[in-house]
Amino acid sequence: MSDHAYVPEIATSRDGVEHEVQGWQGDFYGGKLGFWLFMLTEVLMFGAMFMVLTYYFTLHHNDFIDASASLNRVLGGFNTVVLLISALTMGLGLLKMRSGDVKGAKLMIWATILLAFVFLGVKAIEWSLEYQHGVFLGLDALQSGNAHSKPFGQILFFGMYFTMTGLHGFHIIIGIGLMLWLLKRINTGKVTTDHHILYWNIALYWDLVHLIWVFVFPYFYMIGCDAGGYHMPDIGSLFGGHSNEH
Amino acid sequence: MSTNSNVNYAEEKGGYYKVLIGLLVLTTITFIQPSMFLTDATFGVQMLIGLIKALIILFYYMHLKGETLIGWTVMFAVFIVVFFFSIVIFDVQNFQYSDESYISSEATSGGSPTAGHHTTGSDVVSEHTSDVSHEATHSEH
Repeated sequence: MSDHAYVPEIATSRDGVEHEVQGWQGDFYGGKLGFWLFMLTEVLMFGAMFMVLTYYFTLHHNDFIDASASLNRVLGGFNTVVLLISALTMGLGLLKMRSGDVKGAKLMIWATILLAFVFLGVKAIEWSLEYQHGVFLGLDALQSGNAHSKPFGQILFFGMYFTMTGLHGFHIIIGIGLMLWLLKRINTGKVTTDHHILYWNIALYWDLVHLIWVFVFPYFYMIGCDAGGYHMPDIGSLFGGHSNEH
Repeated sequence: MSTNSNVNYAEEKGGYYKVLIGLLVLTTITFIQPSMFLTDATFGVQMLIGLIKALIILFYYMHLKGETLIGWTVMFAVFIVVFFFSIVIFDVQNFQYSDESYISSEATSGGSPTAGHHTTGSDVVSEHTSDVSHEATHSEH
């Protein structure tokens, strides 16, 4: 079977009646349930990281507030909106696929991929600015025991910040790969209007990535807003946010 | 309950846009809350807004509404996370080893920015008991 076409298996009962064997290919609910179970492992992984974050936050409340105040809320907020719109395009794409508009569905997937790259680009700018300010993994500010060291609580905060936003960014990259794979499967007729479980599950994955950001964003960017009065971000904060003198 | 059926795009897309507007409104509230209301409880309010956004995403974008088996599975998993979360938070709020711990603020701040976790336990001399020192920490806010 060079074209991998699905050929139903036939089982014959004792009285000679033929029955089509239900293959896993048609088990839409099973495919969905299985993917939810996978996503729950993601929830447990990020849940454990949030637990560590909260543990450190409780022990180093002031340092966390100060470190959060130094993050660039404009870029982080922009990315929040980008992800929000990308969740919409992904959902509408699935809806188009289910309604028979394959071309429209593919356009929506491309739109989602584009927004994912925008997210990564903004994140890259944000990390670059932080690097220029001397705040990055491995730099002196985040190493204890030297003249440039930040307070220990801030070192923990930024360690968690780069780890969690980095892991989230890694999920975005995986999502882009999955969407490109999905496009290939659609083009080759493996994902169709009637057989779209792959599309459904990748849309679920993208919503999960969005869902994680819904908590990552306020936990890192917004908790510092009450540190000495919060001012709405200005254009200048695009180029490095509030300075954090320590 | 299979959702593997064709749908009418024109009829259903409105729901997606309504959810988008709701999420955008909540995102706006996220931004203005710290300077507008409940400014003393920013963390709690932010997490509450996040929870509401998460429920909207789960119910409508992730189609959890009406899903019995998957819904309960998700509920159970989230319960496990929250359960252990609660235990850890209760434990850390009653932290008994501030004077000896490598990671507590008592051991690591010490008034000097360079006083990191390399500070040995023997160097840390606290005049407070752990309870007193925690009260002092909380009273700062």
